[in-house]
Order: sequence, then C-alpha cells, then structure tokens
Amino acid sequence: MDEKVLLKGNIAIAKAALNCGCSCYFGYPITPQTDIGEYLSLEMQKKNLAYVCAESEIGAINMALGAASSGEKVMTSSSSCAVALMQEALSYASSDELPIVLVNVMRAGPGQGYIYPSQGDYNQATIGGGNGDYKTIVLSPSSVQECIDLTYKSFYLAQKYKNPTILLVDGLLGQMAEPAIITKNPYPDIDNSSWILDGAKNRPSRNIHSLEPDQNKLNQHILKLYQKYQQIEKNEPVWEEYLCEDADIILTAFGTMARSIKAVCNHFRKTRIKMGVFRPVTLYPFPYKRLRELSVKARYFIDIEMNMGQMLKDIRLGVLSNAQISFIGKPVGDWLRKEEIISAVNNIIKEQYASI
Amino acid sequence: MQVYSIPKSIKKDSKFTFCKGCDHGVAIKIIAEIIDELNLKENTIAISSSGCSVLLYNFLDVDCLEAPHGRACAVATGVKRAHRAKGQDKFVFTYQGDGDFASIGLGESMHSALRGENITAICINNTNYGMTGGQMGPTSTMGQLTTTSPLGRNKEYHGFPIKTAEQIALCEGTQFSARVALYDVKNILKAKKIIKKAFECQLKGGGFSFVEILSSCPTNWKLSPQDSHKKIEEELTKIYPLEIFKDTTND
Repeated sequence: MDEKVLLKGNIAIAKAALNCGCSCYFGYPITPQTDIGEYLSLEMQKKNLAYVCAESEIGAINMALGAASSGEKVMTSSSSCAVALMQEALSYASSDELPIVLVNVMRAGPGQGYIYPSQGDYNQATIGGGNGDYKTIVLSPSSVQECIDLTYKSFYLAQKYKNPTILLVDGLLGQMAEPAIITKNPYPDIDNSSWILDGAKNRPSRNIHSLEPDQNKLNQHILKLYQKYQQIEKNEPVWEEYLCEDADIILTAFGTMARSIKAVCNHFRKTRIKMGVFRPVTLYPFPYKRLRELSVKARYFIDIEMNMGQMLKDIRLGVLSNAQISFIGKPVGDWLRKEEIISAVNNIIKEQYASI
Repeated sequence: MQVYSIPKSIKKDSKFTFCKGCDHGVAIKIIAEIIDELNLKENTIAISSSGCSVLLYNFLDVDCLEAPHGRACAVATGVKRAHRAKGQDKFVFTYQGDGDFASIGLGESMHSALRGENITAICINNTNYGMTGGQMGPTSTMGQLTTTSPLGRNKEYHGFPIKTAEQIALCEGTQFSARVALYDVKNILKAKKIIKKAFECQLKGGGFSFVEILSSCPTNWKLSPQDSHKKIEEELTKIYPLEIFKDTTND
C-alpha cells in the first residue's frame, strides 16, 4: 500500500472512490474526465456494483440523487459545460440533504469552450448555478496524491454533513501522471440509519422532499441548512501555507496553479523579498479567517489563476481592507509558466509596491 | 359489519387536498390497496415528481423521495440500483403527470424503458399542466382549449400530442405498457387489476412496466366532475384507447 505508483489524476480519483466503498457511479462521457467512468465501468461491474451509462448528465446526477437516498456512497463525474446541466439536481440534493460526490474535471468555457486546461469553474462550484439558498462543499486538489486524499475526504464530508460535495479538479491534473501512494481511506463511515429510505419496516415511513407549501416551515428548513453551513465554515476550512509567517507579499492560487507559484516564491526569497504562498484546499468553506490573520503583516496580495479572477473576490473578502490586491491571470490554454509569473510579479512590485 | 376501510398504506391523518372531482385521489387509493394486497409497504420506495403528483407523500404511507421535475425515472433508477448494489431488492415506482413523464422528462422516462430498468412508472394523463392552471401539455388533444392554446390546439401552430403508452410499448426494455381510465367503477376495478399486473411485473424482475391513467381535471377543463368523466369516456378514450399495448410477462 505504501509503494509509490505512477498514476493519472483521473484514475487516482476512480481508485480512491472504490477504496472508500463507493458502490454507485452514474456518468456520461465528456473530455477530460471520461477515463474516470471508463475505469469504473469494468471494476464496478466485476463487483456487481451500480454503474449506469446515463442518457445525459441530467440523468446521471438524478440517478445519483436517488441512489444517495439509500445511504450508499455515490459518485458522478463530469466537466464544466456538462456540470452546468447538473445544477438543478445539486440544488435539490442540497435541500434534500443528500450526500453526492460530484467530480468536476475542468475544461475551458464559456459554452463548449474546448478541452484546454482552465480554472473557469471556481464560481460555478463555490457559488453554484442552482436556485435558492444552498451551498456545496468544494475541495481542490493540486497533485495526484491529493486527488486520492481529497476523494476520500469528499465522501467523508458528504456523508458527515449530508451535503453534496464537489471535487474541483484542473483538467491538467486529471490528465497528468505523477507518482502517488494509494493510501487507505482514513475516515470512518457515518451512521445514516436515521434518515435513509430503505422501506418503512418497523418504523414510520420517511419522505425526502424539497417542496414545502408552508412558508414558516420553508423558512425553518433554510435556517436549519444555514446552521449546518455555519458548522462547516467553522470546522472544515483547510489551506496550505508556504513561508507565509514573515511574508510581506503573499501569492494566492488554488489547484495546480499553486504548484508553480511555490517556485516563483523561492525565486523572490533569493532576492530577499519576503514572499509566501497561500492555497485554499477547501474552496467552500473558504479559509477567510486565516487569510485575514495573514493580512495583518502581509500588506500585498497577488492572486494568480487560470481564469479572469474568480477566486479574487474571496481574497478581497478575506484580507483586511487596507491590503493591496493584484491579479495575474489567463483564462485558458498553456499553464502560466514560472518565468511568466516572475516577470508579471516583478512588474506589479515595480509599479505598485515601490515602497517595499 | 365493516364494508369499507381506508387502505393501510394511506396515512391516517391525510386530508384530501386535490380539486373536486380530480382522479388523483382514486389513483393513489388503488395504488395503496395494491401495495397492501401485495404486502409491499415495508419494501417500497415511491418516487414523486413535480406538479399535482408531487403530493403523493402526503397520502401514501411508504418511504417516498421527491424527484426534480421530469427526472423521476432517473431517480428511481438510482434508488433501484443502489439497493441492488447492497444485495437488496426494493419495490420502486414513480408517480408522475403527463407533463413530467412525457414532456420535460421524456428523455429520462424513455431511456429507463429502453434500458429495461426494473421499475414501474405510473403516469397521470389529464391532458394539461394542472398545477400551474391548465396550460397546453404534451398530451393536450387537437382543438383542446388551454390557457396557452386559447384558440385550440392546432397541428400547424402547436404540433401533435404524444401517445405515451403506445410509445413506451415500442421500447425493447418495456415488459408491460397499458392505458387505463377511472371514469366509472368498472374502469376503476379494471385499472386496479392492470396496475397490479405492472407491479407484479417488477416483482418478477422482468423490466420496465408502465401504466398511463386517463384522469380528470375538472378545474382546468372547466367542467363538473360528472362532465369531466363523461369527456374521458366519450372523447379521450377515442384518442387515447384503453388497451394493454405490450405484455411480455408470460414470455
């Protein structure tokens, strides 16, 4: 188990899902995530588990919604424009409090865009495209190892909070192979016997629904959901910090982008600029509190994303109001390289942070 | 001597909330009677939908999950397969309107039939969108006046309605497809027999089973309950014949 193996991100996710007991997968092909479904099709059929090549992403996420009511661990995977089709069911599943794991291996948009790498679905994942007051937990891996670790965590958090959970993966990472250890699932199973639908035997019948004609009851339901979201926001923010303690300038990024900016940070440290890197691992709950603490010392933040600045608003919400924030971004295609970022950061420092 | 009792699978405190003369109440009652007769109450997961049929869980005393509009057959697929993955066979059926099953959800419905998904779908066909106030639906008949076909459904302008039970019968995975009505006692008894057969089809593990129920909508048809049932008997059954279109349960 502890041996390192060469693995693609997508296959790592599929293997981790099986390892932690995912017994139901429903999917529809779309690049760059199709190999998750391809891998699981054989493995799940061999074990007599539930696998359906759904008629559409709408079919797939609704099959997942139904399956989640049984208490089994359920996953679907898709990409960007097709995850857009799943937003309705995510809103229902949030209201119904059904644990679904949705893997979004991002491609470029808007619309069909193309299969180039991009981080354009930060808003779709963290804000959501469904109707009403609801939130989905969002985890963002930056390595194949984290594809494994955070798949385990996605299933755990989905079950723990009875809430849809999105694993938001860069297309680059889904298709990239690197050594990783297929660890064991470290999380316990959650007892779900009090709410699952498995036939009203020796207990009153249960029903799971989002319709509520009584406005007071609907208000109460949403307030109850928000109490849960408060618990999630209190308990679950996870982030990675690199050399942030004494930093004057902090680079922020999520997912795969955070890897190249560590090298950028090292470069500037050699020039005696006190630079650090801050990477949210949970995009919802976003680690606002820690960002605020860091902005007491660090007065300058440079956010770097493969989009037009979607996480930027969360950085703004997190840091103290007198911090200066800049943005380096590119919406699609070849990942921003170390040299490009260094040059862009240099320009920002020269033009805006002359006082450092 | 007790001559009548409410089925065990009807919730004790339920109050009739459908419109006067609506057939939903009769449909749900005979489904409850069949659940009792087949002893399915403790093993059933019912899937309700959007529209008037969403209220199923207010009446039926079994585990019930509400599906997003049109997605009931996909949700039922997930429920059925998930329990099968843990080695359990649950009885899973959907309860949908014609707009839900045959318009917004036609993709999910028909693909469940094509796959031969071992579930049962019940579709209440009242030839309009009832809950939203009587708009033209996929089954609205030629010439039918609705709030969105105020001059009557017209083939050039609106196009044709769907004959759902006939279409579902064409799918290879369908084992049973029929249309019934509830406009008099004879037909209610016949409908019960046919729905029971559809349920038994699932219990035998044969594949997709489907029953379309021609149902009254006095409020939106702007007819009395009596005239609504007369309309079903005299007009609708001519367009939507009461037949078993496919039955391979004995093959």
